Parts: sequence; C-alpha cells; structure tokens
Amino acid sequence: MSGETSARAVNSAAPATRTVQVVRFFARFTREQRWEHWLLFGSFTVLFLTGIVQKYRNEPWSQNILSTPERLELVQNIHHIAAIVLTLEVIYHLARGIYLLARRKMPHAIFPDWQDVKDAGRMSKYLLFLTKKTPKYGKYNFEQKLTYWFLFFSIGLMVITGFIIWFPIQVTSVLPGSIVPAAKLTHSTEAIVAGVFVLIWHLFHVVFDRLNLSMFTGRLNEDDMRKYHAAEFERLTGEPADTPDQGGQA
Amino acid sequence: MVRPKLLLPFVIIGVLLVVWGLALNASSTSAAPLGVDRVSAPPAQQTEQYCLSCHSDPNLKTTLPSGEDLSLYISPEHLKSSVHSPAGIECEACHTDIKTYPHPAIDYQTKRELSRSYYQACQKCHSANYDKAQDSMHAQAAAGGNLNAAICTDCHGAHDVQSPNQPRAKISQTCSRCHQDIVDKYKDSVHGEALIQSDNPDVPVCTDCHGVHDIADPRTAQFRTQTPEMCAGCHADPERMSKYGLSTDVYSLYETSWHGVDISVYKANWPTIWHESAVCTDCHGIHDILDTNNPNSSVNPANLLATCQKCHQDAGPNWTSAWTGHNQIDAQRTPFLYAIDRFYIQFAQVVLWLCIIYVVLQIIHAIVDRVRRNLK
Repeated sequence: MSGETSARAVNSAAPATRTVQVVRFFARFTREQRWEHWLLFGSFTVLFLTGIVQKYRNEPWSQNILSTPERLELVQNIHHIAAIVLTLEVIYHLARGIYLLARRKMPHAIFPDWQDVKDAGRMSKYLLFLTKKTPKYGKYNFEQKLTYWFLFFSIGLMVITGFIIWFPIQVTSVLPGSIVPAAKLTHSTEAIVAGVFVLIWHLFHVVFDRLNLSMFTGRLNEDDMRKYHAAEFERLTGEPADTPDQGGQA
Repeated sequence: MVRPKLLLPFVIIGVLLVVWGLALNASSTSAAPLGVDRVSAPPAQQTEQYCLSCHSDPNLKTTLPSGEDLSLYISPEHLKSSVHSPAGIECEACHTDIKTYPHPAIDYQTKRELSRSYYQACQKCHSANYDKAQDSMHAQAAAGGNLNAAICTDCHGAHDVQSPNQPRAKISQTCSRCHQDIVDKYKDSVHGEALIQSDNPDVPVCTDCHGVHDIADPRTAQFRTQTPEMCAGCHADPERMSKYGLSTDVYSLYETSWHGVDISVYKANWPTIWHESAVCTDCHGIHDILDTNNPNSSVNPANLLATCQKCHQDAGPNWTSAWTGHNQIDAQRTPFLYAIDRFYIQFAQVVLWLCIIYVVLQIIHAIVDRVRRNLK
C-alpha cells in the first residue's frame, strides 16, 4: 500500500511544470504522549521478560538464566524497578486524565462508542470479502481503541495485583488474606494474556499490517490520513477523503 | 556267577543317591541368611561349644588397662537365639584373632576400643552395609573424635544379633538408646503414636526418613531441600493416604506454591546453598508432627498465625487466610479464587483466538488484494 502511495507521488511530480509537492502532515500524538509511550514500551518489555523468567523458574530454560541465587535476586530487582517506572507512568496518565476531565478538556476521540461496534462489524464483513469498502475511521479506529482500553485495564490490574504480591503483609493488615493468592493468580495469568495481546494484536497492526510510526514521530501524512482515518481527515480539512485514483480501495 | 545285569540297577541308584546328596549339601550351604553378602559358605565351625566351656561362666572377667571391668561371659541363650549361631556362624567367624587357648594377650585400653576393633569383622560378610555406614553421620562423628558414635554392634548387638525391625517399633527403641530426647518427641507425634500403640505399618520409623546405614546429617541444605520429596514418598501415595482420608495433593500443590517453587529451584541448582523458604517440617514440625486437627498442632488454625510468624514476623490476623492450605482451587472453599481461575481459563482463550483469527483474516485479505492488483 505504501508502494502505491509513492508511485502516485512520482506520477504527480512527473509533469515538466515543476509543481511543488506539498505533503501535509497531521498532528496525532503530543510530545508528552510519545514520552508516555516510550516509558510504557520500555517498562512493559522489561516487566514481561523478567516476569516470565520468574513465572517459569521451574523450567530448565529459566534455570539457565537464573543460574545463581544472585541472578534470581537481580531479576527480581529489575522487575521491581521497572514496576516503579510503570506505576509512575500510570499515575501520571491517570492524573492527567483527571485534570483534563476536571477542565472539561478530555478529548472524546479515544472513548469507545456505538460507531466502533458498527465499524467492527463492517470491518469483519470487509475481511470476509462481503463488502469492498473499509469503514471511514475517526482519529482512532476501533482496533486502536481496543488496544488502548485492553492495555489500560490489563496494566491497571497488573499494577494493583503486583503491589499486593510485593507487599502481602501490609496488604493483609487491611484487606482479607484471600486477596493474596487471587492477586498472584491474576498477576501471573493476566501477564500472559496481555503479553500475547501486545505481541499478536498490537505488534501486527503497527508493524506488519502497515508500519505506523506515528507514536514515535507524532504525526501522520496526508495519504495515511485519507486512507486510514478518513472521517478524521474530512472533519479536519472539510475535503472529501476519497481521491479519484483510489477508487474503492481505502 | 553273579550276573552283571542284576548289579546295574544298584549302581545306577547308588550314583543317583550320591548326586542327590551332593545337591542337598550344596543347596543347604547356599541357604545362607537373607540379606547376607555371600562371601563363601560359612565355615563349619565347632568352636561354640569349645568356647562356651569357659565363657558360659557369668563370673568370668578381666580388667582392662583403663580400669574397666570387661565381662567375658557369653550367655548361651543369647547366642542360640541370635541369627548367626543357628546358621552355623560361630565364634571364630568374628573373633578371627583367637584361634586357641590360651588366647593372645588383649592389647585394648578400653571397652570402647575393643568394640570399635571387633565390629570391623562385620565387613567380612556385610560389606555393602558396612561401607554405607562408613559414609554415615555416625562415622563422621567418630572421625571427628566422638568414639561413642554408633557402630554396627551398638544398634544390632554383638552376640545377640536379632532381626532389627521385628516389630518395627524396635527401630525407634534402638535409636532411643542414644537419641532419647528425639524419640520422646516422636512417641507423642502422629507417626510415633500410631507406631507404638498399634504397630502401624504405614507410619515412618526413624530409618524411613534418616536412612538405614548411610544416615546423613539432617541439618544440611541438601537434606532440607530434599525434605518435601521425602515426605511425598508417603504423602503423595494414594493407596497409603486413602486409608487415613488424607489428601495426596499436598506435595503437588506445595511444589507450585511460593515456598515449593523456591525450594525446587534451590534443590535443582544450588542444593548446597541454604534457603529459608519453608519446607514441610518448618510448619508441621519434625519429630513432633501432630494431626492438623489436634489443637496443639503447629498448623492447626488456632496456631497457624504463630507458625507463619516464625518467618513472616509482621504478619497480621488476616494473613493466614492468604494460605490456601494445600487445597486445590475449589468453588466451596475458595470461591473468589475459583471464579478468577474459571474466568481466565475462558478469557485467555477468547483473547488469544480473537487476536489470531482477526490478524489471519487481515493477512489473507492483504495477500488477495496484492494478487488482484498484480493481475489488473
């Protein structure tokens, strides 16, 4: 698809009259949001790797890594440091959300609505070759919203259960004891579910489906906006997103 | 003239008799006592009567250089009822240095020195067990200077060697001769009580946990990390546990617990490094293990918190309910945990398959699109 885009750019640049090709970019993520993503990316990766080594520390492959008691302690310490980084990021994220809500400045684009359900149905039809058109997505499509909210609750659960099993004595001085084995089971299982989700769902969509680096660059070019966020493009520019040469392909 | 043909049957019968006699002789010599490492046929000794002609005198004694009186009396009854004498293994088999009267002079300073010298004769026939004993905690203690550490004859006897485990309670009695304080605790434990009161064949006696001849030091890191597996030898055996209504899940669930995983990692990787994670005996006790329903049991709900606090000093009253007590996740006992477990079994599958199906559909669609474009 990106091949098609560049071919079109060459064609339009071909005429002898040197028209300047202006590529419009659309802001997508703020600097703060990109920083948050870096923190999340780093801490999540470290937590996942140091976590599965501990979860499977009865397995030979894990025992090769945890070859001395000091290594085991080191891995646990790294896990805890990354946990603190992630926790601070979560606190910042929630605090910013509350601030925006209080100021009535919370952007509504990330919140799921009925349109997402319809989009999901439409997209499923498209994938099953029952229709030729993909849905016209807003700023975030339902796949991206699902990614955000799935990880929002997964990470929330991981942080809460993680602290319960990190400080079981303090926790049980307030809460009933049964919360500890429940937290352990949840932490251990949710980690795998979230890890699988990120590896299959998120990684596929941002790398293999199309390389989408907007979370690192902060912006998206006009072609991608027209194709993948047509409704948002139309809202921002007032122009129709469909260009003649794109036809039914979106 | 006697016809040679008439003699033939007698010759044949005679030959057969001789062969049969030889065979009988051979089988009787090979019928040595069970468990004996057969070196050769025991010497057909006639020494016992000869020796007893003097040594059956109860007043026969000598004085050692240490000043100890050494009784030289051998009770003929003890000798006759031992396992050796009836099997034809008589005095000279062990007292190899004494072949006649007058005896060679005794050059042992003390009675203990004499015992520690004579017990080496056991090796002649029982070499495997003798060698094991040389690697034991007892041999180590002796090498460290404690000459009272047990040797073969201390446990088995000398002239009155009997089967050591008939009845089984005899084993703990034997050990109690030196380890009285421990056997006293054991007697009141759930295991010891069943052994002593009803000769229960399922409960462990000292040697079941500590080993027989190669008794190891139970205070080492190795012994510690092997403890759960040792207990599981009986407590994970459905046949044995079903008689008492005890769960056989205790070991498999322990293995997946925090304590158990830690211990199994140490056992596999660092068996010689001490690790504090709890093993069975830390909570249940060692020689004084009681039925968990016994109000005095360290793991009885009434005492559990105090037991946890041995390691988790700051634990509060809610702490013990964090312990699922070697039980499977269960709808009645742990409903919260059960609900989470059921949820994740479904949820994990749903997430995994939805992700896979959706992504695979996208890949298929992208391939079809590309093929169509190329065909245009």
